[in-house]
Amino acid sequence: MPLIATNSTKYTAGQAIMDSTEIITIDNLTKVFRDATEPAVKGISFSIRRNEIFGLLGPNGAGKTTTISILCGLFPPTSGQVLIDGKDLDHELPHIKPILGVVPQDIALYSTLTARENLDFYGHMYGLKGKQLKDEIEYWLEQLGLSDAANRPVGTYSGGMKRRVNLIAGLLHKPKILFLDEPTVGVDVHSRNVIIDHLKEVNKSGTTIIYTSHHLDEAQDFCHRVSIIDHGTILTQGTPQELINAHPGSSDLEDVFLHLTKRKLRD
Amino acid sequence: MFSKLSASVKKEFLLLVRDKIGLSILFIMPMLLILVMTLIQDAAFSTMNEKGIPLVLVNNDKDSLGILIQQGLEQNELCSLSVNIDGKPATRESAQKAVAEGKFLMGIIIPANATEAIRKNVTELVNQTMGEEPIAGGSSIKLNDSVEITILIDPVTKKSILTSIMSNLREFISEVKTKIMFESFADQIAEIIPDKSKKPTRAFERSQVIRYKEVYASTAREKIVPNAVQHNVPAWAIFAMFFIAIPLSGSIMKEKNEGSVFRLRTMPSSYLLLVNGKIIVYVIASMIQFFLMLCVGMYILPLLGLPALVLGNSMAGILLLTMSTAFAATGYGVMVGTLAGTEHQAAIMGSLSILLISALGGIWVPTYVMPEFMRMISSFSPLNWSLEGFYKLFLRGGTVKDVLFPSLLLMGFFLSTMAVSSWVNRVKRNV
Repeated sequence: MPLIATNSTKYTAGQAIMDSTEIITIDNLTKVFRDATEPAVKGISFSIRRNEIFGLLGPNGAGKTTTISILCGLFPPTSGQVLIDGKDLDHELPHIKPILGVVPQDIALYSTLTARENLDFYGHMYGLKGKQLKDEIEYWLEQLGLSDAANRPVGTYSGGMKRRVNLIAGLLHKPKILFLDEPTVGVDVHSRNVIIDHLKEVNKSGTTIIYTSHHLDEAQDFCHRVSIIDHGTILTQGTPQELINAHPGSSDLEDVFLHLTKRKLRD
Repeated sequence: MFSKLSASVKKEFLLLVRDKIGLSILFIMPMLLILVMTLIQDAAFSTMNEKGIPLVLVNNDKDSLGILIQQGLEQNELCSLSVNIDGKPATRESAQKAVAEGKFLMGIIIPANATEAIRKNVTELVNQTMGEEPIAGGSSIKLNDSVEITILIDPVTKKSILTSIMSNLREFISEVKTKIMFESFADQIAEIIPDKSKKPTRAFERSQVIRYKEVYASTAREKIVPNAVQHNVPAWAIFAMFFIAIPLSGSIMKEKNEGSVFRLRTMPSSYLLLVNGKIIVYVIASMIQFFLMLCVGMYILPLLGLPALVLGNSMAGILLLTMSTAFAATGYGVMVGTLAGTEHQAAIMGSLSILLISALGGIWVPTYVMPEFMRMISSFSPLNWSLEGFYKLFLRGGTVKDVLFPSLLLMGFFLSTMAVSSWVNRVKRNV
């Protein structure tokens, strides 16, 4: 019987003020891909609160990327309902998109363009322009230590630098909801710390973060609440500490994960 | 909306100018293609115009027919006539050997006494016409054996060359026959008319009853002579414009592979807006490419000894047709990029399909030499619509009005490719 934490207590992470109102509500969400024999997501239901850092954790093929892709509006669900900021995803996607920021796992940047040119383009696509856009770009380049390299083509960057530009491209327009798909994969410890620290700052300023990662130690430290998903089903949900407490013998989130999925995260 | 569009255009422009291979496909390769193809096809075109065909003549006649044929062929630009082989007068045997060895494309052997044989035949005809007794009893006109001129042909000789030479020979023979007939009639009449001073003169030799004047059916202000440049420059420039599909579809595939499309789909910007950025940049690039190709035709080819490209009367017509061709080519590139699953697929699908539709469109081989069935299929190729339009402008002195229909067809093709791309995108997203 999976444990679904229903605790709606307000809590703080860093200085972020949690809001018990739900910004995302997912009800009985199912996705069956064309020509697939099994559903990728099987009637899952959960909600994400405003200003929360919510971790969606699971092994490869568990259904987390499918869930996030549906929430971002990349493709429609087979059935079920999703409400984002009170709007129905199925009918009001154009009104929902402007409040979403997406940082995909792949480096979604143009390698022959400089960081500034990439950010200028993506900023415009989010409706920013003029001084506001320029200021945002300069602020984030400075914050993430990229100012000196900003006029170099992104193709010449290290993996960590690319990850940082990839992150900025999803943040420029100050989204209400930020989807992060493995934002620190393949980067060194320094870049990872820089990214995580700034994401915490972003969250403090009022952005709800939905996050997936293979780094369970990172998730344990970073997320207010997590869901563990496998075979398209939510296995458990709650704060990291609640989940550790609920599984005797577990000292951290990785133990909980191994206990629930009976396999390693990277299987 | 305008801000997003201009950002999209700026991004596409930067991507294009930094893509060295894409730029070379767009600009350098087509220029080389036009230079090489026009130089090669200039020789072919000259052959089609049939100039300097190497011929050997064995003239055993030494009378009017032999002299007339020899003089006629010597004066004709069609031929490069030789009567000697290796410094010796050509004989039937040496001519046969030389043609078989490929030294001459054709050999002409005029038998001995050919003129005399024609004269006998004609005199007999005239005599019978004038009511004199036939040479041998019958009432019907009976001629001696006809004169047999042997034509030796190298098997590589094109049918069109053979037809041209035969046509010239028939003309020479006909002229000799007419001349002999005229002389024969003159002699007969002289016998009837006692006053010798009224004997018909040799005015025939001085008169030219029918003259021919070649006028090309063109309304262009400048005299436009069909040549390799007039045909090849628009043809290969159109071909190059459609080759824009390869860098364009490659750019679309790269966006998919690099994950940009994933991010762009999550943004509050429509697919159409993003694609429009590409279309604007590539249409402009394609038009610049075409005008550079025209410059090659006008200024570079003459430096290589080829005729300069003549543009005809209508710059507006050229602009309209170039723009609609650029839209058609760009739409095609977007469609290939949307249909393909990988960059590799896009490159193969793009290049092979363009080769196919260009062959059908008459870029490689003129449509008028195609079989009826292929001509019908050819009329569905957008390259053919464009090429026919440019022929109207460059060869027939056409105006905007003359290229409105092909321009509309090309814009219709562009809209169709966009509709297909949009539909395929919807299907692909609805996984």
